[in-house]
Amino acid sequence: MAVEETTTGQEIEDIIICRDVHKWYGSFHALKGVSTTVKPGEVVVILGPSGSGKSTLIRTINHLEQHQRGDIIVDGIELSGDIRNIDAIRREVGMVFQSFNLFPHLTVMQNITLAPTKVRHWSKSQAEEVANELLTRVGIPEQASKFPAELSGGQQQRVAIARALAMQPKVMLFDEPTSALDPEMIKEVLDVMRELASTGMTMLTVTHEIGFAREVADRVIMMDEGNIVEEAEPNEFFTNPRNERAQMFLSQIL
Amino acid sequence: MASPPVSQPEGMLPPRSEVGVTGWLHANLFSNWFNSVLTLVSAALLVTGLWFGLKWIFLAADWTVISELGGRFLLGRYNTEAACEGQNCFWRPQAALIMVSVLLGAAWGLRGNRVARAVAWLVAGVSAAFAFLPYNLATMGLDVRILLLLNLPAVPLGWALAKYTPLGTGTRVTILGVAIFFITLILLRGLPGLPFLQPVSVVYWGGLSLNLILAVGGITLSLPIGIALALGRRSNLPVVKVLCVFFIEVFRGVPLITLLFMSQTLVPLAFPEDMPQNSLFRAAVVITLFSSAYMAENIRGGLQALHPGQAEAARALGLPGWQTTMLISLPQAIRNVIPAIVGQFIGLFKDTSLVYIIGMLDVVAIGRSFIQSNPEYLPSARELFVFLAAVFWIFTYGMSYISGKVEDYMGVGRR
Repeated sequence: MAVEETTTGQEIEDIIICRDVHKWYGSFHALKGVSTTVKPGEVVVILGPSGSGKSTLIRTINHLEQHQRGDIIVDGIELSGDIRNIDAIRREVGMVFQSFNLFPHLTVMQNITLAPTKVRHWSKSQAEEVANELLTRVGIPEQASKFPAELSGGQQQRVAIARALAMQPKVMLFDEPTSALDPEMIKEVLDVMRELASTGMTMLTVTHEIGFAREVADRVIMMDEGNIVEEAEPNEFFTNPRNERAQMFLSQIL
Repeated sequence: MASPPVSQPEGMLPPRSEVGVTGWLHANLFSNWFNSVLTLVSAALLVTGLWFGLKWIFLAADWTVISELGGRFLLGRYNTEAACEGQNCFWRPQAALIMVSVLLGAAWGLRGNRVARAVAWLVAGVSAAFAFLPYNLATMGLDVRILLLLNLPAVPLGWALAKYTPLGTGTRVTILGVAIFFITLILLRGLPGLPFLQPVSVVYWGGLSLNLILAVGGITLSLPIGIALALGRRSNLPVVKVLCVFFIEVFRGVPLITLLFMSQTLVPLAFPEDMPQNSLFRAAVVITLFSSAYMAENIRGGLQALHPGQAEAARALGLPGWQTTMLISLPQAIRNVIPAIVGQFIGLFKDTSLVYIIGMLDVVAIGRSFIQSNPEYLPSARELFVFLAAVFWIFTYGMSYISGKVEDYMGVGRR
């Protein structure tokens, strides 16, 4: 009896469960049976060479890519072809893209308040209040009425983070959030992400920022050719990688 | 040990070739000998052209044909004895014009926009100016002139309505515009049973007002239909997709003239013989659908140019598909293809002249038939067609100009 309770308790505790996830693009096998779980508040960094399936993996979690085999369960909701489940998961999962993908025809304020007012049906004033708080939190409260093109890359990415946070998600996905940025702007974005991690947000981050992984991550996942080849605490991963592929990857980037 | 200052004078002046009138002239007109020759030759051609053009316009040309054409130019045979059967129908198009002035005034009051103000006063001003045409009172009565002058107070009336009454929202002014369009049609067509709105058959409609009615109807409807077709063509539902592709390719693949002929000869076969036939309506439908097919492809081009990340970001935020389309994809797509859309509008406006081939007397056909039936004006054909060209150009250039302003407002190319 007690055992069963713990097991169910364990099940509920994992906010993301991937079980044997397979993904094909045509005949190309991009994910070859990926299984992992993420606990609430955990910060997971996914590393790996390009083409290893890291982005594909986090894009399957909010169903921007459709997996063909296996289960993905987010916040207790099974990610099936059911459109209602997909929209329900997307409300709880925020995503930040490499190319920001801000809406260029809307102001910063409108970018942030769009989804809360249209999807969560908040009042405009309530959404704007939250947006202002978030803009202050990411350090650009004075840019609310500007258009995205009038901001620097780092500022745009911080707006994108605020936009995702405005939906008050339980999980944040970051798909190479600093790869399109100049070096001096990388820091301002990483600072925001660091702050976010310290508040207990569940984060899945694909990045090449080894410093960030080492300092902030609770766990590092190394992917190669559609498989998870190593999964460890950052300290252990960076100092004592067990897998040969991980050793080679680290020797190239460190 | 301070290092000696680098010898660079404060505020070093740019070379003369970079600034001022001489700089501009040098950079743009005389940068090398070939460009200098081109500049001089073009200047000579321009001056000669202007000289002969202006000389013809002001000295040689005989513009009496235009004043002889008079009201027929705007209304065709609408206000003739045959059309109205003993009644005077002149007030009906004029009431419609006053409503348009009110609408333009309301559009100005809505945003306080300079361009809207200029358009409103231009239309009302030109209309009112007709009141002072030097016809004698028998040709153009006092009542006609007063109705024309009423366009002037109509503009501030519309402005005040939009500014100070609950009418002043974009949606309501749009609804007012649509309502005015239909009221205009009813006014012109008349209602059986109402003695003061005796029906006037559409065969008597004509002149510039016919071009404008076809153009306004076509422009306002072809954009939404085109959007629907473009979205349908990109749909995942095979039936919708195939139907939209079929429609677009058929209407794009057949000349408008052929479609117009078919609308008059084939379409009536599909309806019972005793059903009232309305050739104008059928022509309007054909022109609108023809334009929609092109519009659909313009919009589709805009949709395809969008970065897929835009829709992904919207979906990732939890926006459902239709909201992603309406709030994210379409506004950006339309903004990016405004030049193509306006090009299509301009094309549609010019194509309205083609209705002459199904026997409707649009402004060009009215002019032509006037000359043919009054051979003494045959030598004036030149003046007539130059004038018609100028009229078309004023409208199409107006559309271009407004689209440029809309682009500025939407920040096309900047954000």
